[in-house]
Amino acid sequence: MTGEHAFQKYRITKESFRLLVDSLMGELRVVGPVSEGGQIFFHEISSAEELQMNYPSTMEPPSKTFFYRPQEELLIFERGKNISVKEIPPLEEKILALGVHPCDMHAILYLDKVFHEDPYYMARRDNTILVALNCTEVSEHCFCSSVGTGPHLKVEAGYDMLLTDVGEFYLAEPKTERGAALTQGVRPARVDELLLKDEEEKQLLKDIQKQIDVKGLDACFLENIGHPVWARTSDERCLSCGNCVMVCPTCFCHDVVDETEMSLKTTRRLRRWDTCQDLHFAGVHGGNFRRTRAARLRQFVTHKLDYTPQFGATGTVGCGRCIRWCPTAIDLTEMAKEIQRSPLK
Amino acid sequence: MNNLLTPVKAAILDIKDETPDVRTYTIGADAEKFKNFQPGQFNMVGAPGVGEAPISLSSLVEDGGSFQHTIRSVGRVTQYLEKFKRGDEIFIRGPYGRPWPIEAARGGDLLLVGGGLGLAPLRPVVHAVLKERKSFGGVTLAYGARDPLNIICGDEFSHWQESIQILLTVDEVPKGTEWAHATGLVTELLDETKIKPAEATAFICGPEIMMRFVARRLLLEGISPARLYVSLERRMKCGIGQCGHCQHGSAFVCKDGPVFLYREISRFPDGLL
Repeated sequence: MTGEHAFQKYRITKESFRLLVDSLMGELRVVGPVSEGGQIFFHEISSAEELQMNYPSTMEPPSKTFFYRPQEELLIFERGKNISVKEIPPLEEKILALGVHPCDMHAILYLDKVFHEDPYYMARRDNTILVALNCTEVSEHCFCSSVGTGPHLKVEAGYDMLLTDVGEFYLAEPKTERGAALTQGVRPARVDELLLKDEEEKQLLKDIQKQIDVKGLDACFLENIGHPVWARTSDERCLSCGNCVMVCPTCFCHDVVDETEMSLKTTRRLRRWDTCQDLHFAGVHGGNFRRTRAARLRQFVTHKLDYTPQFGATGTVGCGRCIRWCPTAIDLTEMAKEIQRSPLK
Repeated sequence: MNNLLTPVKAAILDIKDETPDVRTYTIGADAEKFKNFQPGQFNMVGAPGVGEAPISLSSLVEDGGSFQHTIRSVGRVTQYLEKFKRGDEIFIRGPYGRPWPIEAARGGDLLLVGGGLGLAPLRPVVHAVLKERKSFGGVTLAYGARDPLNIICGDEFSHWQESIQILLTVDEVPKGTEWAHATGLVTELLDETKIKPAEATAFICGPEIMMRFVARRLLLEGISPARLYVSLERRMKCGIGQCGHCQHGSAFVCKDGPVFLYREISRFPDGLL
């Protein structure tokens, strides 16, 4: 990162934070966690009063809400005398994204590695001021501490400001000039106030129930391709519904599809989320490399807990969404643990 | 930042029928873009409204910039392409992927093993060898097809045979068809090669089950795992390591392959190697 230097850390009261957010409404679209029908979503807000900053987790991960959208228009082919192809320019929309949890921030950093050459993803990334928020509670599905992604955010780059809720106020740690601009007029935090953050983290770490040892899983999975846990779990429980993939903050697979208008004059080429749980995902002429449900389930689980060689990062960020939203409560950490406990000889 | 999925227009300069369902298209496109197209690499080839499919380079790039794709008409995209005529325009993007390591094979013996349409990506390797025949040692091409009707590039074999050893086999010979060569598995052809696998480099392309048996046999005969290469086929939508369809183990076949050392991928699940 260019111009990287240590920024001051600030103390910002929750009231000042709300005033700050409200003051930015005019110049930016502000998007943050809001409650709707008992669920939390990242939605655009018109007042800071709507924010539910103290939230457990969202169903749709912010990496996908903000940057890797379910569908992206890439190209338009126009048929006249000849066919011409036009690129669809990325939208240059300024957004302030508030309250992204540490695991979800890591997922964004993961998708950065996948889409760093994609103009649509990168335009959104560049135009979004990201304010991360350390967690204040953990759920039964969280296993971030096992994969080094939470419950407090330790990376220093890739976002603009980090907030930690320490009760009466937020500790605000700008990481970029854009982030620092949000802290104008608030006072730097005192040493004793900074220490409150460590206390919060210690408490949270105690609360995390789910653990997994990912060390050596790459090799372990390769030696256990035929482990009974794959077939048993898929036969008994997996519906191949793809929920795990849809809610996963790092799942990047997509289809590229052409949609032609009824007039046949234009064809739009789109990118649309796809799932490795779909039967045809790995099909080629004369065969399908993952015809069995067990193979497809294994593909998801190993891609999350293994395959670090792909991008130099584990595929999972420990958010637990795939467990939380699986209709039959399949738990990838339990499957891995079963293999670790009783590997094939 | 460029949209990496934007294809360019290309002209079909010529079409040659290889078999009842395989045709070789000579393509003329932006010469600058495709001048470094290497044997083993591929293009995403398609048409608006139909989509794209990964198709390997089946010739060397000519001085004028044209090159060839040999395509079997079996899927949505390729069946649509079958309707195209000389002079029609298609849309392509590339070149993508890791090529055959022809440079590394120079100076030694080279064993090429193809099955079915798998000869297409090996054909430019043969052409490269013929261009500089003296810089390679012994070269054998072992090729197997379903039956004599499904042999591709058949009209070139007699020319190739002047410079390299050609071994042919088919699975079956329909009644009334003449066939002067072997019938049976490609692995059986390897008995006849003059090349000693222990000293050779091998490039294999064909159905995965065929590559499995050829590779295992060559390893048993002492080929160095560092010189045993295969080319894989997978479903692809982007060609640039983003869409995830071609993932094989931790590899993206589109950008880490399609040419791999056999040992890099033979342990991965969901393949036949």
